[in-house]
Amino acid sequence: MAAVVAQALVNGLLIGGIYALVSIGVTLIFGVVKIVNFAQGEFVMIGMYISYWLAARVGLDPVASLVVSMPVLFAVGVLLQRFLIRRVLGLGDMPQIFLTFALSLLLINLALLLFTADYRTVDTSYSESAIHIGPVYVGVARLIAFGLAMLLSGALEVFLRATDLGKAMRAAAQNRDVAMLMGVNPEHVFSMAVGLSLALAGAAGSLIMPFYSVYPGVGQVFVLLAFVAVVLGTMGNVRGALIASLMMGMAESLGIQFVGADSGLIVVFAVLLLTLAIRPSGLFGRQTR
Amino acid sequence: MAGSRGKSSPRRYTRRGFLTTAIRGAIATGALTAYGATTRNVAAAPTAVNIGALFPATGGFAQFGQDCFNAAKLAVQMVNDRGGIKSLGGAKLNLILSDVQSDTTVTRTETERLITSYKLSALLGSYASALTLIASEVAERHKVPLLTGSSSDQLNQGGRKYTFTPFARASQFAKAQLQMAKLISDKPKVAVVFENTAFGTSTSSGVREQAPGEGADIVMFEPYSAGFTDAGPLVNKVKASGANVLFAVSYLNDLVLIVRTMKQMGLNIPLNGGSGGFLHPDFYKDTGKDAEGLLGVAHWNHDTSADAKAVNAAYEKLYGKFIFEYAGGLVAQTFMIADALERAASPDPQKVRDALAALDVSKGFAAMGPGGKVKFDQTGKNIYGHPVGVQWQKGDLVSVFPKEDARAPIVKS
Repeated sequence: MAAVVAQALVNGLLIGGIYALVSIGVTLIFGVVKIVNFAQGEFVMIGMYISYWLAARVGLDPVASLVVSMPVLFAVGVLLQRFLIRRVLGLGDMPQIFLTFALSLLLINLALLLFTADYRTVDTSYSESAIHIGPVYVGVARLIAFGLAMLLSGALEVFLRATDLGKAMRAAAQNRDVAMLMGVNPEHVFSMAVGLSLALAGAAGSLIMPFYSVYPGVGQVFVLLAFVAVVLGTMGNVRGALIASLMMGMAESLGIQFVGADSGLIVVFAVLLLTLAIRPSGLFGRQTR
Repeated sequence: MAGSRGKSSPRRYTRRGFLTTAIRGAIATGALTAYGATTRNVAAAPTAVNIGALFPATGGFAQFGQDCFNAAKLAVQMVNDRGGIKSLGGAKLNLILSDVQSDTTVTRTETERLITSYKLSALLGSYASALTLIASEVAERHKVPLLTGSSSDQLNQGGRKYTFTPFARASQFAKAQLQMAKLISDKPKVAVVFENTAFGTSTSSGVREQAPGEGADIVMFEPYSAGFTDAGPLVNKVKASGANVLFAVSYLNDLVLIVRTMKQMGLNIPLNGGSGGFLHPDFYKDTGKDAEGLLGVAHWNHDTSADAKAVNAAYEKLYGKFIFEYAGGLVAQTFMIADALERAASPDPQKVRDALAALDVSKGFAAMGPGGKVKFDQTGKNIYGHPVGVQWQKGDLVSVFPKEDARAPIVKS
């Protein structure tokens, strides 16, 4: 029994690391630019396709293709902010929701057109290997993904605390008007935030590729739990999203193990509802006034 | 701004102009071919016999529908190269293709359109059972015979008189899977995992109902939600159940995830994925060694007879991959239509239907499916049809069950 629980927790923790990359991206955009990016999952999908094609055509290891997928998606993020998001800022919620939602639909259908609905998989030397620790096994591909996800999240945290640009982002997240009065250039800060957020989605895509198949709708699989984690960890709070993602991964895994393989999400949403009932603004939110 | 608009507008005009010309050209070519065909037929005396082919060449089933078109073209070519329909003075088959776009509404209108615009002697269609059921309804109403490889048992129900199914029915598949399990172990202990929608639930319940009769023990029966991110917990449960064979009713990406997780956990038992998309050559191309050793059931396979192998060789030469289940069956169906036309000595759909109902073949391309014989009962079902068990072995889909169709023994991984 203890072994089964341990196994479920390890599985959940590892996949939670991937949810974290997605949810940190969502929460960063929300915190700084104040817009909910419904297309975040589709950028994970793009990252996966970049890694897939690099592996299929050039033979590059999907994890190594981080060095391509992250800069490419960073650039996409900057362009997205400059040419699309900027135009709907300050127009109220509806145009913003429609923009990112439409972007999500557009990207899924574009991928269907370009790559068809086929499931594509990359085979690496470690895709099927696992480390056995007593009765618990740890998939190597998932362990690598988790390790790098934590490293990237840590790097982002350091960036936000130690650099001027990072501080400017946090300032903009805390109070946009005051930050602007203090000389923060919102254009620049917003572009960087969206760029970084999409780069994280790209990283998630590359890290998933050694153990998951890519297809046009794949983003939806990862984005659902990421959104739950964003809300649970208090919207806009990067550290909160990270911790909540790991929790959600474990909750899902325990749910599948003990409630049923078709009801893992029951536990996830039960945790979410309970938390929100007690702390309406999430785990790390200030108490409501 | 004004300058750029001025520049772009003639370009847009040219593009539109180009498109219009292209479309006109396409229409003209179509008209010409149709016209050319009639004149040639007048010169050669016998009129060509029109056969409609309704397949999803675009949309969700595009990958499969396109191969079906290719196979239908090859089959018609084969019939024509062998001298066409002799009792009609060597009349050639004329294939009329229609893309039903993986959509039930389009299937309905396209079937109507084909039947009302051409004098069809018979129809072929339409890969997915959901589409074929619609095509069958329309064909019944217009009294045009439809041959199909679709496996839904509903195609043999409701007093259909013009629908013929020469291959194994869905209800026969579960039994074949259970019998294959007995090749792996004398006392099969089967774990069944299935995705929790209509497809998975109905397929898996067939397995559960027939297990006692086949002497198989169901040790685990577990639904899951499709599109999970981690197969670990599910595979954990399979391992704990002590099963020695796993049946998975899954979509392709879940199947790959389950295979990989089983390898990581050192769970070394055969996996039977039933029938479905993974019987297509592209599946192996996309998933590589994860497909190796995977078991399934099919209504047709390219290696069960010398004739099937000959068709496959011709197809492979043209398209660079083996001919998959449904497309291969389509070649056999075209030869059944040719056989019926030969005996009916008329392109009249009613007479072709009656000749199909009296069909009794045991050799040649018409009989190259599993069972090796075709004869339809009252419901349009081939009384000799049975499924063939297949396994991915070194990049090829090899028939492994039953004995008379097997080309290699099952590899027990």
